[in-house]
Amino acid sequence: MINIYLLLFIQFFKIGVFSFGGGYATLPFLYEIAEKFHWYSISQLTDMLAVASLTPGPVGVNMATYAGFTTSGIVGALSATFAVMLPSFIIVSIVFKILHRFKSNLYIQRVVKALKPAGCALLSAVGIKLVFTANLHLIGTLILIVFLISGFIKKRDPIFYLGVSAIIGLIIGNLHWIGV
Amino acid sequence: MYNKFMDKSFFSIFKVFFKIGALLLGGGYVILPLLTSELAQKKGWLTSDELCEYYAISTSLPGIVAANVAIFTGRKLLGTKGAIAAIVGVTLPAFVAIILLASVLTEIVHFKSVNYIFWGVGIGVITLLFLAVKEMWHSCITDKWTSAIYIVCLLLALSGKFSPAIIVIFSILVGLITQFIKSRRIKND
Repeated sequence: MINIYLLLFIQFFKIGVFSFGGGYATLPFLYEIAEKFHWYSISQLTDMLAVASLTPGPVGVNMATYAGFTTSGIVGALSATFAVMLPSFIIVSIVFKILHRFKSNLYIQRVVKALKPAGCALLSAVGIKLVFTANLHLIGTLILIVFLISGFIKKRDPIFYLGVSAIIGLIIGNLHWIGV
Repeated sequence: MYNKFMDKSFFSIFKVFFKIGALLLGGGYVILPLLTSELAQKKGWLTSDELCEYYAISTSLPGIVAANVAIFTGRKLLGTKGAIAAIVGVTLPAFVAIILLASVLTEIVHFKSVNYIFWGVGIGVITLLFLAVKEMWHSCITDKWTSAIYIVCLLLALSGKFSPAIIVIFSILVGLITQFIKSRRIKND
């Protein structure tokens, strides 16, 4: 059996190499890990995403640290966090040296242009999958729709949605409308 | 007198990025204004034009954007040593916060009300995700070609048969091949 630290390292190194688009770009990969390795469940992933939005630092780092820590403690956390950063370190260092050629290269421009919709599609797919796996019930689905409409009309701080949904969850849960 | 252009040592770079990392709430999106205020306005180490350029390139590279920008600026300030100072600095607050929280989380999930809150917050998270998709949409899907890539990748991802890495490689190939065909056409004309 492969050492768990090595496995964590490989999986998070892969995220560092293949995630494009910033912010939630690591999410499709984290979702895949949840399905494949069960280091955390899908519902733990959304919990963690909420926590990551409320704690300092990039979401990708938060998730790497969390996944590493829950699977194999502090060494696992270090291993996964280091692994997710390492590709960035190598790639940025190379690009830094060839900055001007990098920017003017037509092939690179075209690849970047192709990667953006791909990243957007991957994130859309995770969103759709989450709607079906998150055990939202009818009431949760309705709240989601209201949130989305309100978000499309007016841009708000992420804390707004997390705060309001936390309060709604607390109320609905205590009224026993849902069986969580 | 306080010297605004103080020396760029390993530790001073680490300190600035640690501060930025600690202030980086709600994801990496806010790193550019933070960098501009800390590095351009307060320290005068870099211009905001340089920072904007690094940020723009960072978003087109793989990995975590905030980490990429930190490595770029650190490298510009003090070479490899600067890059290490920046990346460790920007990561450390996130790392510590999560370790502390994860330890608490395993204890508090036994409370019923905590589970209710997490159920509710799940809805908030999915909302944020779709809103992020909407934001990306405006900058990503600009013509027929990009729309086609979006649709194909979405179908591949939803089929559940392809790992995200495969889909990323697929889109890189599409980009390379399209450009190859285009270049040849221009040559032939």
